[in-house]
Amino acid sequence: MSALTLTAAPVDRPRQTRWLLRLHRPAIYTWAVLWLALVTLLLALDGPLLNAAADAWRQYESCTTSERCSYDQNAILRYKDYYNYATIALNVLPFVLAAWAGAALTGRELESGTARLAWTQATSPAHWLAVRLAVPALGVTVCTGLLAWLHHRAWTASQGRIESAKEWYDRFTFHAGGPTLAAMALAGLAAGALAGLLLRRTLPALAVGLVAVGVVRWLTELAMPHLWPAVTRLSTVDQGFLGKGMVVDQGMVTASGAHVPPPTCDSVASCAAAFDRFTGRYNTYQPQSHLWGLQLTTTALTLAVAALLVTGCFLVLRRQTGTLRAARP
Amino acid sequence: MSSDTALRADALGKRFGRRGRWALRDCAFNLPTGRVCAVVGPNGAGKSTLLALAAGLTGPTAGALTVLGTTAAQARPRVGYVAQDKPLYPQLTVAETLRMGADLNPGRWDAELAGHIVKELDATARVRTLSGGQRTRVALALALGKRPELLLLDEPMADLDPLARHELMGTLMGQAAMHGTTIVLSSHVIAELEDSCDHLLLVAGGQVRLAGEIDELLGAHLRVSGAASADLAPHTVIESRVTGRQLTALIRPAGPLTDDWRTAAPSLEELVLAHLRDAGAPNPTEERAA
Repeated sequence: MSALTLTAAPVDRPRQTRWLLRLHRPAIYTWAVLWLALVTLLLALDGPLLNAAADAWRQYESCTTSERCSYDQNAILRYKDYYNYATIALNVLPFVLAAWAGAALTGRELESGTARLAWTQATSPAHWLAVRLAVPALGVTVCTGLLAWLHHRAWTASQGRIESAKEWYDRFTFHAGGPTLAAMALAGLAAGALAGLLLRRTLPALAVGLVAVGVVRWLTELAMPHLWPAVTRLSTVDQGFLGKGMVVDQGMVTASGAHVPPPTCDSVASCAAAFDRFTGRYNTYQPQSHLWGLQLTTTALTLAVAALLVTGCFLVLRRQTGTLRAARP
Repeated sequence: MSSDTALRADALGKRFGRRGRWALRDCAFNLPTGRVCAVVGPNGAGKSTLLALAAGLTGPTAGALTVLGTTAAQARPRVGYVAQDKPLYPQLTVAETLRMGADLNPGRWDAELAGHIVKELDATARVRTLSGGQRTRVALALALGKRPELLLLDEPMADLDPLARHELMGTLMGQAAMHGTTIVLSSHVIAELEDSCDHLLLVAGGQVRLAGEIDELLGAHLRVSGAASADLAPHTVIESRVTGRQLTALIRPAGPLTDDWRTAAPSLEELVLAHLRDAGAPNPTEERAA
């Protein structure tokens, strides 16, 4: 049934996708080169770069303080640098997509009037927008999904082998190595498209798209630690905070059992006096076992924001063209 | 509402922004199919807004516009439109632009006709390298290749040299005659429309000042001259001018004129100019409605 409709449809349905891909060919080529470079880098981080750095760390750890020893420090630094480049590049991708979507996907078409050219063919503005959002969204999901998977693999392989490897709760590592990357990229796409539709000009849409995805990222960062039930561990004052992971809240426990922020003090005597009032410390945090829970809830939240932005795109387009909804006679 | 009406406006109004200026207000007119209609008026009169409404690029703020018996949105596949600034994708070649037209208008596309209009252009040239007149040709080819039932052209000939203008007008008129295409073209150069158009829509200050068949409109008006002291009542005076003891006027006669007046048929340009100068002239469509 569905196969029948698929083969029958192209006869009388406008073929927009082909022309969307043709119009954005330079962007697609650029994206392909960037994507291949990142894939290569991530594979190297899971292969030769990692092995060299892990060997160097083994040499380093076999050193004792008494005798001179040598280890390949360059391999360690090279791994660390390239890991950071790859991680930051992945974190920047949603911003790149927002800038592109705002400037090239919608802003320029509205500025130069080519959107009006498209809307006066047999395709409605709504269909025009739907194709412009759906086709890049599909490509972005597949590409960033694969990048996130490769990043997660590389990061997992580094655990226990590289002393200086990032913790799972490092924010850049967190967002580079899970589905939040794809969700954030989709939100960037939607934010840029909305900026372009609202401003109808290339450069302002580029700038506002960047700012908008920055705001989405910032809000996500604020919300993320609270998106999964956290663990609270109590300790004595002298033990310090117990438990390692993404910190949600830390502080002191009073005699009555209340949780209060740590006191501020500026001398040994005043600190001793200040801490003397407390019976212990508490540490509310997300342990590593919550990684995927946090990834999935953050992804869901970001996708919800992206869905709102997409709805906004269609509402703005309807307000501008007045023709999205078929008028009732 | 019937299918022999290409455009029908009822109390049509369009305002940009919630508190913006009304670009069009209280417009009512009826354009039968198969006509070549000139939309004339000064710059900023609302001509482009009217065409954009008909093309479904923007929605009316008030009233309704019926396009080919349905809404502008639903008529979209049957309507061709060329915007004033002839937007085209600069990175595509001429041939690619026409292939895009074929892909976006499945089931309607006339490759032969579109190719004929751009036959003088290098098909492999990118649109960004074309001159204004050449771009106009590509834009017209895209609009005509769609085989529209209603073709909306906003200042279509402005960038063309007289020879190309004549040739393309000929192609347009040929299409109109062969397929019964309704053509609506806006211009502020009246002379360029007089030979080819049979219907007139005069827009000024966002309102329709005059609408109807050009022959009927011309037939309903007279240019008269006589003694300055003479009285033109009960005829409707559109415009009158006194030079010395001589009065010349453009009137819509209410009955036969007395022999004191010398009469002549006005030209379209005289008619249009008189109506534009006399912004308060009663609108024949309003009169008919009253």
